[in-house]
Amino acid sequence: MTASALPTTDMPTRFAPPRLLVGVAMLLPALGFLLAFLVLPSVILLSYSVLSQPQSGDIGLPFTASSYQRLISSPAYRHVAMTTLRVALFTSLFTSLLAYPLAMAIAYGRPLFSRITMSLVVLPLVVSVVVRTYGWQLVLGNSGTGVLNWLLHVLGAGTAPVQVMFTEWAIVIASVHVFLPLMVLPLAASLARIEPSLNEAARVLGAPAWRAFVRITLPLSVPGLIAGLTIVFSLTAASYVTPQMVGGSRGLMLGVLLEQQINTSFDWPMGAAIAAVMVGIALGATAGVEWLVGRRAAARLRRSGAR
Amino acid sequence: MGRLSGGGGLLTYVMATAGLVFILAPLVVVVALSFSQANIATFPPSGFTTSWYEAVLADDEFRQAFLTSVVLAFAATVASFALGLPAAYALDRWQVPGARAVETVLLSPFILPILITGLALLQFMAMLRMRDASTNLFIGHVLITLPYLVRTVTASLKQVDRSLEEAARTLGASPWRVFRRITAPQIAPGIAAGCLFAFMVSFDDFPISFWLSTAERMPLPIYLQNSMSKVFDPSIATMSTFTIVTGVLAVIGLEKLVGLRRAMNV
Repeated sequence: MTASALPTTDMPTRFAPPRLLVGVAMLLPALGFLLAFLVLPSVILLSYSVLSQPQSGDIGLPFTASSYQRLISSPAYRHVAMTTLRVALFTSLFTSLLAYPLAMAIAYGRPLFSRITMSLVVLPLVVSVVVRTYGWQLVLGNSGTGVLNWLLHVLGAGTAPVQVMFTEWAIVIASVHVFLPLMVLPLAASLARIEPSLNEAARVLGAPAWRAFVRITLPLSVPGLIAGLTIVFSLTAASYVTPQMVGGSRGLMLGVLLEQQINTSFDWPMGAAIAAVMVGIALGATAGVEWLVGRRAAARLRRSGAR
Repeated sequence: MGRLSGGGGLLTYVMATAGLVFILAPLVVVVALSFSQANIATFPPSGFTTSWYEAVLADDEFRQAFLTSVVLAFAATVASFALGLPAAYALDRWQVPGARAVETVLLSPFILPILITGLALLQFMAMLRMRDASTNLFIGHVLITLPYLVRTVTASLKQVDRSLEEAARTLGASPWRVFRRITAPQIAPGIAAGCLFAFMVSFDDFPISFWLSTAERMPLPIYLQNSMSKVFDPSIATMSTFTIVTGVLAVIGLEKLVGLRRAMNV
């Protein structure tokens, strides 16, 4: 089928340049760009976390773990790290709950409803996080003029009953909105790939609809769910705009702390140590989930007797 | 289609509708306030006026920021296309040694938190004494748009009918001619959608521009966030509405190019 099946000549033809060389030449610009402007700068930044910054401000040797020690030993920093993990966890859980019916509507709904849902899910994805979080500032405002409080007041629930602005909950609510599309889309893709006959078979064999859902649809959508959970968790833990705009001092997260270390304290080693923790959370979430899924898949294979 | 039926189906529709209300609420509130006659952006909006739109359109700073974002997004998308198309093609079609590692590097901007990418680049450019904000922003925005191009091109190439390419080659067409006449027409719509999405990723970006912008070179999201802490009248809602409308246009564009579900791999 390939060139080797054709009669070979000693003269290389004009149209068949050495393939490896061409391939490398096509890859090199993109690869070089990323190595120069992403990988190298990141390595330099993260290396700052183990360097010292004397009063003069010049960062350099000797190596020291003091930034990490300060990060671990300070209750205030630990509190920020815990807030970050908690917000990321709650955001990914609530996002998946909200995403399921939307993904089901996209994958299985009536054509018109499916199209409307798809459009409205994608729309926020192409509107800046700044604008969306501003919208949540207006909706969740603590005074009587916040949309939610105004609405509840009109419905007779007293004056300004909801006080979530500048708490962790405000960050969770706005973050769910920000990252919802990134959960719905992989989930809908997973659901759409499920063979309809599987469900039909279950129903024909007498399973009620909920049981077919729990035993067939739900397990088969796990890959999309896992992809969504991973990405939402990592992105929430690394976010800056949303906690900065609706979190206040009670909802301080690692991204905001990092920005304060760099722009207010000019403490680059400390900033770099926080950055390293954030990178660790992002990579850890990805690796941890892969490990979990791998183990479960292996266990299922063993149970089913396949090897 | 339409596999949702019975009580469970109804429940799904009700919950999905609630989800749609949640998605739309903050956007609708912003648009509603942009027409308010009140002097502060609080709910409920009072009266109806388009005067904020006239004010915002006449505002030089806003126009400058909007233009900066459009030019930046366009330049970043073009550069990402030029870098990403050949790279994705080479990865998909030729056996390159260490292809897995190369792919990991090409998609690494997805894995690294963008806030960190921006800070690392800021520090790196300071080290190189590169003080031109336009150049720095451009490089930063190529970093965040490139992986989208690589992913879209790869996905489009996987859908190409390979037998057509083989037929053309058997009939004596050169590899370049095969690409131009057979491959390119098949992948063009998908890549156009990918470019549009990458454009919006750059246009909406906050965490990269946050570190690299200056008072003279300020993309729209940064300008908006700055204004939000200084200005409390509905003009902020009006500027925000302009970005929402841009988003709506992008969604329509994606739908027209390849259909939303294909554009989003659903």
